[in-house]
Amino acid sequence: MSGARAHEELLGLARSALARAGVAEAQIALRDRTRHGARFSRGALGEHMVLSEPLALVRAAEGRRVAEVRTDDVDEEGLVAAVRAAHDAAKVAPETDGFDGFAGAGAPHVEPVRWAEATARIDEEARASRVAEVLRRVQNAGFVAAGMLETQATRSAIVTTRGCARGASSTVAGFRVWALESASGLGSAGYGGHLHRDVSALRVDEETERAIAVARDGRSPVAVDPGAWDVVMEPPALAELVEWLGAIAFGAREVEQGTSPLAGRLGERLTGESVTITEDPLDDSELGFGAPFDAEGVPRARVPLIEGGVARGVLYDRGHASRAGAASTGSALALEVPESTVGPTALHMAGGSAESVDELVRGMDRGLYVCRLHYVNGFVDTRRAVMTGLTRDGCFLVEKGKITRPVKNLRFCDSFLEALARADGMTRARRAIPTWWSDAGATVVPAVRIRGLTFVS
Amino acid sequence: MNAPLEPALAHLRALPHVRYAELREVSDRSERLLVRDGRTEELSDSRSAGVGVRVLSERGWGFACTPHRTEEAIVRAAERAAALAKASGVAAASPVVFPEREAARGSYASRVAVDPFTVKTEDKLARLERAVRAILAAGAPVRSASAWMQFTRQKKRLLTTEGTDVRQDFTYGACGMQGIAAGDDGRVVTRSYPTWQGGEGFQGGFEHVASLDLDAAVPVLVGELRELVVAPACPEGKRTVILDASQVGLQIHESCGHPTELDRALGTEISLAGGSFMQPNMLGELRYGSDLVTIVADSTHPLGLGTFGWDDEGTAAGTRPLVERGTFVDYLSGRETAAALGRASTGTMRAESWNRPPLIRMVNVSLEPGKGSLEDLVADTDDGVLIATDRSWSIDDVRLNFHFSCEIAWEIKRGKRTRVLRDPAYGGRTPELWGACDAICGPEEWRMWGIRNCGKGDPMQVMAVGHGAAPARFRDVLVGSSGGRS
Repeated sequence: MSGARAHEELLGLARSALARAGVAEAQIALRDRTRHGARFSRGALGEHMVLSEPLALVRAAEGRRVAEVRTDDVDEEGLVAAVRAAHDAAKVAPETDGFDGFAGAGAPHVEPVRWAEATARIDEEARASRVAEVLRRVQNAGFVAAGMLETQATRSAIVTTRGCARGASSTVAGFRVWALESASGLGSAGYGGHLHRDVSALRVDEETERAIAVARDGRSPVAVDPGAWDVVMEPPALAELVEWLGAIAFGAREVEQGTSPLAGRLGERLTGESVTITEDPLDDSELGFGAPFDAEGVPRARVPLIEGGVARGVLYDRGHASRAGAASTGSALALEVPESTVGPTALHMAGGSAESVDELVRGMDRGLYVCRLHYVNGFVDTRRAVMTGLTRDGCFLVEKGKITRPVKNLRFCDSFLEALARADGMTRARRAIPTWWSDAGATVVPAVRIRGLTFVS
Repeated sequence: MNAPLEPALAHLRALPHVRYAELREVSDRSERLLVRDGRTEELSDSRSAGVGVRVLSERGWGFACTPHRTEEAIVRAAERAAALAKASGVAAASPVVFPEREAARGSYASRVAVDPFTVKTEDKLARLERAVRAILAAGAPVRSASAWMQFTRQKKRLLTTEGTDVRQDFTYGACGMQGIAAGDDGRVVTRSYPTWQGGEGFQGGFEHVASLDLDAAVPVLVGELRELVVAPACPEGKRTVILDASQVGLQIHESCGHPTELDRALGTEISLAGGSFMQPNMLGELRYGSDLVTIVADSTHPLGLGTFGWDDEGTAAGTRPLVERGTFVDYLSGRETAAALGRASTGTMRAESWNRPPLIRMVNVSLEPGKGSLEDLVADTDDGVLIATDRSWSIDDVRLNFHFSCEIAWEIKRGKRTRVLRDPAYGGRTPELWGACDAICGPEEWRMWGIRNCGKGDPMQVMAVGHGAAPARFRDVLVGSSGGRS
């Protein structure tokens, strides 16, 4: 597979299979991804892999009865069989209220730049050589390296019997590196990472040096007491909280069930005026990732979710939109996250005016500088967006506007929305952080300064 | 299970740089059903099949795979894996130590009385719809109800250059329901049965779904929702805590299962999951828990999601203690990691699917039962809280500092359950909690729980694992309300 139009072949395959299946109401969504990974740890390349990830999500209907078949048998015979199997299953399925057929042709979708040929073409020797250089650099600094260099090339297509036919191709390159005081990870640790569609644009050297610097500065941490602390969070830390907000707050299902903090509160102030979060799947810059249409063939829309701290929008697939009397925002997730129906893939949090993270630190008399978070969980109290998690890979004491010493990791537990209401600084620059729990896309955030985040242990 | 693996195996044997190789053919079929608020939200049949090839050269591993089960495609995948293994040498630290083992041969199959794929979809949906209707029929404060089933049939064949050739046939299932209620003040509470979604899986057939009896559980679930919306928050402080059996299972998962994974302890999982506070130099020394605490890695229990005949490296299933009477004694390991400690593999290497390499995964990591019933334990507790059904879970990157919030608690006063408390949460440090365990209920309360969504690896692999557990009591645990702190 190669080229920004690599999906054309997939579209032809889906069209042909749909025509041959002879089912009046059906949909074939295809995704074919090849993923290469060079995973390193203990100062050596440990897992070197090429992963094939084909997936067809086939739906068929009989009247208002709808059923689904998923298969990784994506040749034409397999797809024809899947359509017919879905149709057979639909015949005995209960009726789906509001179902009025699969997506029609609709307007053309935007085609943001998502493809880089270099990413699709990198070979195993080039990957291993780049990793070997990282290992040497970290070892020469007196640390042990761990991490991953990975590339993905994905082509996707969706065709329905009502005339919808969309396709897209994309590449993603990701680099994550840890510099560790000990191979087991028990000592000081520093992290660096970068996500880009073009593997040749990855900041491998810069991020490796960053990981080394954090690990070096993080040696011999001291314990500090829990309590309310002012914090400056680097983008990888903030992104994890914003990603969790995406999981509990913005999807129509959570709003419908009443568990979302937005349920019944659209138009109300949820958090601070400086907070604007948008689902922005069409970003054409280097911060943009993901397909321009969803698993139902609906173009993904740019949706303001929180604007100036006020709840503004909800993400819909076709079913939830129909029940709510709204329009689908192109947010059906079935291809990316099988157990979720609707949600974000490209949360973008607006930046502020600070020129650098240092500027945020200078505005803090006494606080913590947090590089990353670990194992955040946002199910603690979803209505208030209470989340808990721990610092990881660099947490430092700030005194009189300067980073003075490393501190031992701490656990926070606080309402993220209430904490954001106390945010009084964000950087202008933002970074794209890969989602950690799925292939749903990336979260784009600035660094932030929050006053009085509650740490509990 | 009839892909032509042998030609690719012969091809790999002929390559001089290949020390070891395994070919794994996997075929999955899954059925998922979800009814929410009277609507069938999910009715899905998934099928997946392919071949994964893992190759070890002198200094590194390579993995490649194909969904095409033809001789040509499998040979091509084998060549690709061999090339990756060879290329890894440039970034290797030293030769990989991977002890040889005797060839394994045979077959394994789950014990299934009623094949879930022979039960009509309409009948499955009818059970779910009936439960959802009954919950919603309660009216306010109930505002949402859902019920689900999921079944998987997995067939697997493993063929290695050592002569191993084993075939396995697994059947897994899960079933549960949840109600959501809202109070007049907008407070939202949930109750789930038999435990939280994702923690209720089993190995076996439809007979286990029938035994769950959703209909009979609805009145209790609805009654507890009604109590929760008006209940006070769990007060903060150090308390005696009794965890229900499913919560003990999750506590084992996070604070014993993961830290005893040897890849984590050695540092090969840093790039996603993290490390472990349980280091090799602590084997036989670390006081992990009280004398009552014996935790075993068991891949033989018939109901467990971590039960099999052989792992994905050909190591036979077995039962081995990880913590014996409170002392840390062994790891979950594979052949390469165990060799790093001069030990034998404990047989825990499993891959999510044909297109992922195997990793160390929990099998059924279970707490040995003690004595007595839950009611005996409550009666023996003067002042405390009984906490049930997980809602959130979090633990640090070396598995020491944990925090859980749950759906419901009951205050215990003078040996009796008294008022219901909402939003209970508890936290602490792993050895301190298990060191404070002073009672574990007996075999009559012990059951095998199945967690279906354990994430590990990079790219992440989701694995199903088991935990046998009974309710247990812990002294001086910091509890509170999940609304802010614990």
